[in-house]
Amino acid sequence: MRSTTRSFVAIFAAALCAVFAGGKATAAGYPERPIELIVPWGPGGGADQLARLVSKLMEPMLGQGIPVVNVPGGTGATGMAKLLAAPADGYAMAIYIADSHALLAGKSPRWTMQDITPVAVMIKGPSFIFVKQDSPYKTWADFEKDAKANPGKLKVATLGFGSVDDFSLSVLARGGVKVVQVPFSKPSERYVSILGGHADALYEQAGDVAQFLNSKQMRPIMLFGEKRLPAFKDTPSSHELGYKVALPQFRAIVMRAGTPPDVVKKVSDALAKVAASPEYKKFLEEQFGDPASFEDASKAPAFVNQQLEDMKKTVATN
Amino acid sequence: MSQILLQLGQGFLDCLTPINLIMLVVGIVIGLLIGVLPGLTLVMGVALALPFTYKMDVTASIVLLSAMYVSGTYGGAFTAILFRIPGEPIDVPMLWDGYTMGRKGQPAKALGWTLVAALGGGLLSATIMVMLTQPLAHFALRFSTPEYFAVLMFGLSSVVALGRGSLGNALISLAVGLLIATVGTDETYGASRFTFDTRILADGIEFLVVMVGAYGVGEVLARLETGFATKPIQKVGQTRTELPSWREMSALKGMFLRSSVLGNIIGLIPGAGATIASFVSYGMEAQFGKRRKEMGTGVAEGIVAPQAAATASVGGALVPLLALGIPGSGATAIILGAFMLHGIQPGPQVMATSAHTVYAVFASIYLGLALMCVIGYFAIRPLVKILDMPEAIVSAYVLTLCFIGALSIRNNVIDLWLMIGFGVVGYAFERLKFPVAPLVLGVILGPLAEASFMNTMISFGNDWTVFFTRPIAGTVMVFTFAMLALPFLQQWRARRVAAA
Repeated sequence: MRSTTRSFVAIFAAALCAVFAGGKATAAGYPERPIELIVPWGPGGGADQLARLVSKLMEPMLGQGIPVVNVPGGTGATGMAKLLAAPADGYAMAIYIADSHALLAGKSPRWTMQDITPVAVMIKGPSFIFVKQDSPYKTWADFEKDAKANPGKLKVATLGFGSVDDFSLSVLARGGVKVVQVPFSKPSERYVSILGGHADALYEQAGDVAQFLNSKQMRPIMLFGEKRLPAFKDTPSSHELGYKVALPQFRAIVMRAGTPPDVVKKVSDALAKVAASPEYKKFLEEQFGDPASFEDASKAPAFVNQQLEDMKKTVATN
Repeated sequence: MSQILLQLGQGFLDCLTPINLIMLVVGIVIGLLIGVLPGLTLVMGVALALPFTYKMDVTASIVLLSAMYVSGTYGGAFTAILFRIPGEPIDVPMLWDGYTMGRKGQPAKALGWTLVAALGGGLLSATIMVMLTQPLAHFALRFSTPEYFAVLMFGLSSVVALGRGSLGNALISLAVGLLIATVGTDETYGASRFTFDTRILADGIEFLVVMVGAYGVGEVLARLETGFATKPIQKVGQTRTELPSWREMSALKGMFLRSSVLGNIIGLIPGAGATIASFVSYGMEAQFGKRRKEMGTGVAEGIVAPQAAATASVGGALVPLLALGIPGSGATAIILGAFMLHGIQPGPQVMATSAHTVYAVFASIYLGLALMCVIGYFAIRPLVKILDMPEAIVSAYVLTLCFIGALSIRNNVIDLWLMIGFGVVGYAFERLKFPVAPLVLGVILGPLAEASFMNTMISFGNDWTVFFTRPIAGTVMVFTFAMLALPFLQQWRARRVAAA
């Protein structure tokens, strides 16, 4: 009841803003002042790095400053609240990642898809199960066998309960691979748990542990996706192993619903140029992102919606 | 050994190029400013500087960031000692003896001690880091959640040293702090606690808001009560000495060593950092030190212990970063980002592939410490003069600093209201003779301790004995209990002596 009232108010407010904005904020003069880029996470993380790179590359294209503002808290919810409190005129946008999106699959989310307009998807990359380099589990089959023989004994370090990590592991559990999920919200503790042998495996994106992969301290035994990646051609995908789950990490840029379509298009076009720049391509490669990550404003909403459907399906059958 | 010295020498030469020297100075000055501003934490400062390093050469950018990191642990001591606002959470222990020494008319001396402590702790820790990178890194890997919890319990147990007058009041204050820390969405299961369905509380209460409010705003309120009439300090101009004499320092060399080694070890632990190092080191000194009875009355030990440990923790935190690629703290995570940006992968092979850069980083820590102290030395005199200004004016600036600090934490106006609220709480606590420090300690360490406790329970199937059966956790726990039991034992013995 409360949430329907709230979303009604949100839609109404958005519509109202659109009416007011319709007259003056067309793409012709846009942007006339700096555009705020909200990062709903603290400084230094993956979302923050993306924001600062995009800001740097996009500023000369739009001719205005794009200050990055970190508003951490509530798995991204605090930053999203700030975005939704700003007028829908295209002068505020936010980094939107899969982990925040996962909140929508949970109970009483603080915003819905009706409140936001995805402008572009900037990076997509599958998640992996990693083990320590000298782990006794040579392959996924070893891990699976041990986990099935000793349900609830093997420890897998993840981001936390209710996250994408949690959803993916629940699919494994339905296939008989029952593990203990140990939540570490701090990345450093998550990585030490593997390198120090305190946990048996790690759920993570490859870009975040690149330093451990390159220095041969960790190795992947499975990736969550439909097919293998060229950079990890010996690592089997979850689909070929019989687990129908593929929830990639993604980082997108969103604005408020009701932002004039031509403004959205202008920013989306600029982001397309950002994505095509050699500097961004290098970043994508370092992050082990899908080379075809970018989705513009015409395709991004469908992608983001599909992700939510997939997450909900994972939770529903739980 | 000679190999290390040779490479370190090369590192010094690399640091002495004009561009690197400029970066070193810039980094130190910015780091000091960040330290001074409450709310603008080290991590934020280093993150804000990162984009400027994109175009720099790798050595210059790491030199800039690590100089900021080192001097950021020192700058906050100025505001803590002069105005009773901790610029960083690490400076909270600086309030007890540092501020008290300042109030007794020796602010320049108190600042002199922090300078010596930062230099001594930093240099010792840097030397340990250079000599023992590999073995220390492997030691760091042995820490897991039970060990984090044990270390945090040890930090919390330093509360017995903080409740000067009454242990009971200190424990009540700590409990209030721990309770405040539970407000918001719980980290492990996402349950809402004490949020009363409001958005304000759903994201929890930032410890920085509590810290800045209870100390900064609370102090201004206390001065307002007296109508800014009290001349706080006897004429500052009379105090000439700034640096402690060689004799005074050599009397404390044992505790310099103790605090620095402790700071270094705590810096190594991925779940802990400068803040915990500072609290634990103060607690150790107050409980086991030679002049433990006088701690809190403005003695040098109370300044040296937290400052030496805080600066020493930087060297410790860089070890797992360089040797294993594990960022042990927020700031080192960003330094890792800078390394990777320039195509250097910290990790076991880094000494083989990029020894040049690594030794330049080591050398920059030494040079940074030295330069930081020179800048700090010349800053003491003009800064102490501020205390000669009318109190009302100083208080206005203090309040402005508090507001800027509270807003910069997460750009949230609600935090300003919370900060004012905690200012009133801090003032009320002082009036009712409840110490504020345990409250702040509880708010800072509470969430960390809770998360590591929950994680241990999940990870070890609710077996609480792991805290005592794992060697490192068990040892730390024994120390914790010793710390907690000591005041009671002393009381008991005093009574026996009195009876006999």
